Amino acid sequence: MNPSRWNLARNVAVTFIVILIYTWAWKGLKIDPSILDNSLNYIQVFLADFYPPNWSVLDIAIKALIETIQMSIIGTTLGAMFSLPIAIASTHNLSPRWLRWSANLLQNALRSIPSVVLALIFVAAVGLGAIAGTLAVSIYTIGYLAKFYQEAIESVDPSSLDALKVTGASWFQIAQYGIFPQVSFLCLGYTLYMFEYNIRISSIFGVVGAGGIGFELVTYINGFERQKAATLMIVLLVVVTIIDAVSSKLRRKLESL
Amino acid sequence: MTIECKNISSRQKSALGSPILNNISCQIKKGEFVALLGINGAGKSSLLKSLMGLIPLEKGEVRINDILLTPNNINKIRRQTAMIFQGGGLIRQLSALDNVLCGTLGFRSSWQTLWGFNQGDRLLALELLTELGVKEHAQQKVSKLSGGQRQRVAIARALIQSPQILLADEPTSGLDVIASHYVMESLARLNREKHITVIVVLHDLEMAATYAKRAIILEKGRVIHDGSSQNLSTQFNQTVPTILPSLNGIKPIIQQIA
Repeated sequence: MNPSRWNLARNVAVTFIVILIYTWAWKGLKIDPSILDNSLNYIQVFLADFYPPNWSVLDIAIKALIETIQMSIIGTTLGAMFSLPIAIASTHNLSPRWLRWSANLLQNALRSIPSVVLALIFVAAVGLGAIAGTLAVSIYTIGYLAKFYQEAIESVDPSSLDALKVTGASWFQIAQYGIFPQVSFLCLGYTLYMFEYNIRISSIFGVVGAGGIGFELVTYINGFERQKAATLMIVLLVVVTIIDAVSSKLRRKLESL
Repeated sequence: MTIECKNISSRQKSALGSPILNNISCQIKKGEFVALLGINGAGKSSLLKSLMGLIPLEKGEVRINDILLTPNNINKIRRQTAMIFQGGGLIRQLSALDNVLCGTLGFRSSWQTLWGFNQGDRLLALELLTELGVKEHAQQKVSKLSGGQRQRVAIARALIQSPQILLADEPTSGLDVIASHYVMESLARLNREKHITVIVVLHDLEMAATYAKRAIILEKGRVIHDGSSQNLSTQFNQTVPTILPSLNGIKPIIQQIA
């Protein structure tokens, strides 16, 4: 078969397989298009209940949001502190194979636990409230930040580390003078990104009683006090947008250093 | 003998399956200035790295100042030898001064350098940067320096170790003619005035003839010429047909590049 015919046959086969996958997924969900007919009306009715926002709960919203931010600050910091040694243990340029294997296994295990499940585990362990949420945020953070830190450390220019190695520098000196300066700003950027993300995650944790704004939000929605819920959502939106903007600017600045 | 390689072969293989270093033997005396030449992939950088214990050997032995290179005495050897890596191997986020000070890490314990470098080392590093004409950039981050300035910082980092042997892997790559000669002149001066043994990987035959008395040409991990650095183009005339038998038409171009 000449190359152009071979390419054509391959493209047809790939297209056929892609169509097959989508058909399988669609059929598996048993989606009935008639269900969607009235969905727009239901959404309108649901959203109409949120208007106008009830500003009488503004102080509650701010208090709950402050708690969410506090959970994110402490959770991210704790997570970052534990992520660093796990990341170092996972890297191929700093750690022996056996340690790398165990550290990577730990990272994968942490990443495979859904965030809400983590929150439920800590609610069971320490009871309802922000402490459970903070612990869940920190464990969730380790799963991701350790991976980000590991990638950053592994992307360090190997010749710069060899250059230190040939001076007779110790493992610790290579880490301090070779790796740390090259990854510190990048890792700080990743940590800021994780902090942003954790504010959103912390808001969800409240749903299972792990503190933060989510708890009040779900209580108002389920109690048909949706105008109060709207206030909470607006406050959350404004604060998350501000933090996003500040953090993005900071990260851009860090990346250019 | 300052450097002695006896039948060294690397564990790492090339794409064709042969060792990157294939049964290399050579001896380099104290105070020599040797140019290491060959086309890309010939094994020049690997040979330098093997002298510093950065490449595991399958067989053969390396002796530096009559000390056999083994994992146990590698740090002892590294304290007598300094290496300038291709592109400098500097930490771009550190200042030129801190990069030079990194050369002292092997002489100081982790505890001594935990909070920075001592004043004596700082003064010595500044002196070296002054000698190499980059004192005014001492506090500047290496990422902000030009290629020539970076190479001089890399030389200063090597010199702060007071090495008896200096290995330089393509110290002129990416530099313009003037900067290249400045770097090579700095190496030649160290060889002349401080009697430091210099082995330098080069691609420029003319430059090799100007600065080195001896040249070693590698091809596919083997030494194919070890002798005078004069008339090197004749050597390449003889070797290029064996390297690329089907590309004789571009031989003059290859010679220019090499």
